[in-house]
Amino acid sequence: MDPQLTEVSQMFERFKAAFIRKDFDSCANLLSQLKVLLTKFRSLPPLFENTPNAVNELLLAREIYEHAVVLSVKIEDQDAFERDFFQLKPYYTDAGSRLPPSQQEYLILGLNLLRLLVQNRIAEFHTELELLSATALENPCIKHAVELEQSFMEGAYNRVLSARQNAPHETYVYFMDLLAKTVRDEIAGCSEKAYDYLSINDARQMLLFSSDQELLEYIKEEHPDWEVKNGSVYFQKAKDSAPCKEIPSLQLINQTLSYARELERIV
Amino acid sequence: MTQDVEMKEQPAPSNSVPSSSPSTLHHLKEIASLIETGAYDREARRILRAIRLTMALRRKLKASVLSVFLSFALTPGSEAFTRLSSYLPKEDENEMEVDTATSTAQPPAKHSLPELEIYCYLLVLIFLIDQKKYDEAKACSSASISRLKNLNRRTLDVLAARLYFYYSLCYELTGTLSEIRSNLLALHRIATLRHDELGQETLLNLLLRNYLHYNLYDQAEKLRSKAPRFEAHSNQQFCRYLFYLGKIRTIQLEYTDAKECLLQAARKAPVAALGFRVQCNKWAIIVRLLLGEIPERTVFMQKGMEKALRPYFELTNAVRIGDLELFRSVAEKFSTTFSSDRTHNLIVRLRHNVIRTGLRNISISYSRIALADVGKKLRLDSVADAESIVAKAIRDGAIDATLDHSNGCMLSKETGDIYSTTEPQTAFNSRIAFCLNMHNEAVRALRFPPNSHKEKESAEKRRERQQQEQELAKHIAEEDDDEF
Repeated sequence: MDPQLTEVSQMFERFKAAFIRKDFDSCANLLSQLKVLLTKFRSLPPLFENTPNAVNELLLAREIYEHAVVLSVKIEDQDAFERDFFQLKPYYTDAGSRLPPSQQEYLILGLNLLRLLVQNRIAEFHTELELLSATALENPCIKHAVELEQSFMEGAYNRVLSARQNAPHETYVYFMDLLAKTVRDEIAGCSEKAYDYLSINDARQMLLFSSDQELLEYIKEEHPDWEVKNGSVYFQKAKDSAPCKEIPSLQLINQTLSYARELERIV
Repeated sequence: MTQDVEMKEQPAPSNSVPSSSPSTLHHLKEIASLIETGAYDREARRILRAIRLTMALRRKLKASVLSVFLSFALTPGSEAFTRLSSYLPKEDENEMEVDTATSTAQPPAKHSLPELEIYCYLLVLIFLIDQKKYDEAKACSSASISRLKNLNRRTLDVLAARLYFYYSLCYELTGTLSEIRSNLLALHRIATLRHDELGQETLLNLLLRNYLHYNLYDQAEKLRSKAPRFEAHSNQQFCRYLFYLGKIRTIQLEYTDAKECLLQAARKAPVAALGFRVQCNKWAIIVRLLLGEIPERTVFMQKGMEKALRPYFELTNAVRIGDLELFRSVAEKFSTTFSSDRTHNLIVRLRHNVIRTGLRNISISYSRIALADVGKKLRLDSVADAESIVAKAIRDGAIDATLDHSNGCMLSKETGDIYSTTEPQTAFNSRIAFCLNMHNEAVRALRFPPNSHKEKESAEKRRERQQQEQELAKHIAEEDDDEF
């Protein structure tokens, strides 16, 4: 066996041991060393040279990056997630035909979809979705993310929240918690427009707070324009600032002038 | 397949060759002389016409005619000649004799222009594709592309663009499109360096097609946004570009842009390109549905498209009524069509629009309705779902209403008079802008034959003018020399 490959796999074993111990600091440390070592393999993307050990090296590298993605979720670092995911992606797309399929693949792709949803990058979410085959869409991990997006777009927020209980994998919980925060902001935004007022009790339930105190603090911080009186929350103030009707004179002048200019050109 | 073709060709020599072959050959020779004059005069327009004439001959091409034409156009024994001849299937003996007899009677071609050589490549390639000999076509196209890379003549651009197109087509037909991606990128780079705008246009479209074939929307958009843009040279290429752009925009949820692109592509496409227009219409229908518009019935009744658009018609109907159950059954019934059209994911997105339309209908008909009833009408699972969905619809401006949580009902507001808003004005403005734009484009598309306004000048005056021009040219040349 190639000495370089042995070195990397030994270090990866140490990384895995630390990963199981949940010693994430030493994990991160080992990971950065591993990444440096991986750059020495010429069979890996972007070079993709067909060296004799290519398949073994690709497999090892893929596993390392898969662990890196999961690790980034554990240490709750979204930027690291994005970086590691993009490094991992070529192993699924471009090297996919040469390697046996990974069991982690759909789990990680689902995680990525969820991340895009949490960060409200819906366009990228759909771009990623187009890359998945029909069988991939049937996978519970992917399906979970797709259904979440649908409920989210429809506005069926309690379906989004109840999905937390049947998350397909423990790593999903982190993003689901983040999603809950996004959902709360969405609900607040919708309520503001849809209701004239809500009793404090209803508002607390709707915005998923466990105590009135938390609700009042949230209102103070995020929506200072809401008014709390007589045991109800009034959204009226926000609505008063409806745009008053005004003749759009500048726009009208511009349009008329452009018609005149164009007509001049024709006649 | 090849056998089938040969079977058909066997009985042909006895009666059809003497009648059709000379005329086809005659046409081909005319085209060749057209290309020659085009090459000498540096007029790409003539070569374009040559290609158009070739397309008319396409169905009549035969291996025998081609081999005669090759020996006419190319120097026998040259590299291109031997290579191209090897792609043509061998005919039976006596026919070959007839051909060689006619070809030896021709004066041997004294020169071989690169334009003519490339044209021969193109001709053989088209023939091979029509005969469904895709492996030979692949080999032939790759050979032509590597030859093209070494030639740098502006008169070749038109022919080269065509070759690129068929090159990609061969690989697409054999399902190996991903192999040529880096090659196409290299060609695009070369075309950019040579200021070959038509080539750039064609290659950009081929690359977009290549990416979209594998659903690589991200890469396609990145390339598209960074590639240089200029006034379109070819209407067909522009249509394709619009279609691909429309697809990308749809996936990225920019529906307004997408709709504009797709509708324009469908309108600009030539009448003969039925398949292309059907595709454009399919996507345009979905995008309009996603925008909350309902396409008119006439869209589905266009000539030759009724059958292909049928699934989309039923889908539109389901969205128009706002019935989730009907929508689901239509989506299931035509799921194979939708997945082969690769619109399945878009249709999943539509569910949300079905609910919105249903909700809008309810809000128009009722001034006050219990949320439980809303849920029942829209076939939603729970009242809580209904409430949050209605709340979101209100926030997004889909309906104008308020919710009363304590009584659990929805109160619709009076719909205002639309003519008191600026809505009619903007609609009117967009129509005027469309008409004016159409006029301007029509003016820009007008072509004037060169020097037509000077026709009336007498022969004497012309001689005088030419002399002046020559003197001027000499002056300029001298000045140029001075500068160095």
